[in-house]
Amino acid sequence: MSLLRIENLTVALPQGAERPHAISDVSMSLDAGEILCIVGESGSGKSVSVAATMGLLPAALKITQGRILLDGTDILGFSPAQMRDMRGKRIGMIFQEPMTALNPLMRVRDQVAEIMQVHGAPVGNRVLELLEAVGLPNPATLARAYPHQLSGGQRQRVMIAIALALEPAILIADEPTTALDVTTQMQVLHLIRNIQQRRGMGVLFITHDFGVVAEIADRVVVMQQGAVVESGHVTEILQNPQHPYTLKLIAAVPHTTPPPRPAPPGHPITGRPILELVGVTKTYRGRGAVPAVHQASLRIGRGETLGLVGESGSGKSTLARAIVRLVIPESGAIRFHDTDLRPLSRGQWKPFRKRIQMVFQDPAASLNPRRRVGDIIAEGPVAHGEPRHKARARAIELLRLVQLDPGAADRFPHEFSGGQRQRIGIARALAMEPELLIADEPVSALDVSVQAQILELLEDLRVRLNLTMLFITHDLRVAAQICDRVAVMRRGIIVEQGPTAEVFANPTHDYTRALLDSIPGRRKNQT
Amino acid sequence: MSFLHAFTRNRGAVLGLIILALVALMAATASVVFPFSPWDMQGAPFAHPGEEGFLLGSDSLGRDVAAGIAHGAYVSLLIGAVSTLVGLAIGVSLGAIAGYAGGLMDDAIMRVTEIFQTVPSFILAVVLVAIFRPSLASIVAAIAIVSWPPVTRVVRAEFLTLRNREFVQAAEVLGRSRFAIIVHEILPNALSPIIVLASLMVASAVLLESALSFLGLGDPNLMSWGFMIGSGRSVIRLAWWMSVFPGLAIFLTVLALNLVGDGLADALNPRLSRRR
Repeated sequence: MSLLRIENLTVALPQGAERPHAISDVSMSLDAGEILCIVGESGSGKSVSVAATMGLLPAALKITQGRILLDGTDILGFSPAQMRDMRGKRIGMIFQEPMTALNPLMRVRDQVAEIMQVHGAPVGNRVLELLEAVGLPNPATLARAYPHQLSGGQRQRVMIAIALALEPAILIADEPTTALDVTTQMQVLHLIRNIQQRRGMGVLFITHDFGVVAEIADRVVVMQQGAVVESGHVTEILQNPQHPYTLKLIAAVPHTTPPPRPAPPGHPITGRPILELVGVTKTYRGRGAVPAVHQASLRIGRGETLGLVGESGSGKSTLARAIVRLVIPESGAIRFHDTDLRPLSRGQWKPFRKRIQMVFQDPAASLNPRRRVGDIIAEGPVAHGEPRHKARARAIELLRLVQLDPGAADRFPHEFSGGQRQRIGIARALAMEPELLIADEPVSALDVSVQAQILELLEDLRVRLNLTMLFITHDLRVAAQICDRVAVMRRGIIVEQGPTAEVFANPTHDYTRALLDSIPGRRKNQT
Repeated sequence: MSFLHAFTRNRGAVLGLIILALVALMAATASVVFPFSPWDMQGAPFAHPGEEGFLLGSDSLGRDVAAGIAHGAYVSLLIGAVSTLVGLAIGVSLGAIAGYAGGLMDDAIMRVTEIFQTVPSFILAVVLVAIFRPSLASIVAAIAIVSWPPVTRVVRAEFLTLRNREFVQAAEVLGRSRFAIIVHEILPNALSPIIVLASLMVASAVLLESALSFLGLGDPNLMSWGFMIGSGRSVIRLAWWMSVFPGLAIFLTVLALNLVGDGLADALNPRLSRRR
């Protein structure tokens, strides 16, 4: 008998939603000692399925059909008291965002002890044992810390410790590594795998990333638009996917081996660089004396794409923002052709605004929600003196260029999907006809399949418009796809740079090696 | 459309809006319904409501209380609206500059704001009106001067969070001017708390004006609700209607403005309006 069995579960969406059911007729089962991955993009219903299992569905969603059997009993018939007894004790859960899942006002020790107290279990020495079991260094000191004093990975380990406290038979993990850096992600994945094997738990693991699936799953369920489209053993699914959607998802995961790229027209090392950074340093006030960027030096040749890779807090975004004067570095030179941009005033910078443009990370936040798309795209040229009607006309051409319907010009940003909004953001940058395009994590907020489309578009535009690009990303797989050269940044310092293929094949710095080893699914892909 | 829908779902707000519309209608038609100065004697003094053709009675000089209320509505609404507009103009511009520029400019503006906030606003208004002689302009100015500091604080807080948003940074990168960024990019996104605050400011301005007139610091040429209460106060046992009806008018108008303000706050906050 399965540990957990979901049978024909249907959850209705409130009236007026884009589809009648959040999930319809979903069935799956989880056995002891296996990891079942539920894979799908945002809106596929994967989170709703587990929320129903935990009794955590939002009030607007109603279960209209189906059963959820835990050890043979239907938990949908449970009273609230029975439900509370089950949560934590028989099913543990970890969430995506470790910062918001922990109570910021409680010490780690109290939060871990809380679940045992709630269920009437003796606490004793368990807290320290648990913290040690999830591989936290110095459990005694850590137990006294508050969540904000821990790193993201440490917080997620605390969450895992809480979920494991009562040794539940089932662990539900809802995208537990999505908010983490790659190296941390790999550690947390290993930890979950280890604990699962040691205790023979069943793990229900939700993810959107097939790389993670390859790393951790025993069996896979693929969901699309609220329905299960394919399920099976992990090797089967990865090597012989049947459903077109699964194929699409797997194909969308960027390969780790960089494809061969034609050499850019200007030689990156000998030719005159378009942009050259020399010893750029930026320290934020009030963060101790640690510079966010320390002595960063880079060159970008004409027509080249340079990838700036690093984990969160590495200073890559600060460096990108320093180039466009969103932050002002205290020393170093930012040479664009022959001009040092660093000492220029706001006014002196203005002519360069046309030549250097930026695409931002979060397409939802980077477009003014109160303005129409056409105005958003046209505003740059208008600010530089182009007549409004001409700029509007060109905005419509640009919408076509980024493969959007020209009718989009009269609509507001919230009417578009994430990928479409990012296309608008790109169109806005291109409206200035820049030479240098800085893309700050342009795909990290997007689903994998959308990610692939945006990368394709950027690559296509780069070739057609002869753009030079500085591409900032935390995802080495993305960098491998699109960059001629990469620079790896860690704690504000550029530790390695070189042609992408070379860096990937023979990393010289330990950190680069660690990053490469942490790419989920890498080893299994290569075998 | 969705805004209207969310607003009309709040029954209190709709009621407030109706009351407010009636008060405005009363102010607009005052000179038609009562085609005489509210200062003129119209009959015997101390007539009870309903007697001698006085709907709401007459005062100690035989003036029509109903006419006073109708004409006073105009004064109350005018002073409420104009002083709020002036207060908003001061508060929004200072708050926008403080929040957008940050640093020393921010410090300087906020210290000045705090100085104004530490002085009790009513006392300051009384002093200002007394210095500048009571007139419509000086009353509007005094109310505006005491009511801008909260606006500055709210606008500054909004600007502080908004100026680090990516769409503002994008506008910087596009090379737009500071003025354009403030007015076209940030301000429209900070509008909802400003609108809510404005509706409540009108309410407090109406109250302030009444309080000033009650103390005899109103414009001597304009009939106002506060003045009517003030003049009726000494004979309240003899002629309760002289104080009660203007009092009711103030109460209803301020209540209506508050209801509308709450309704706006709910409707403009998408998270709250969805929960309803």
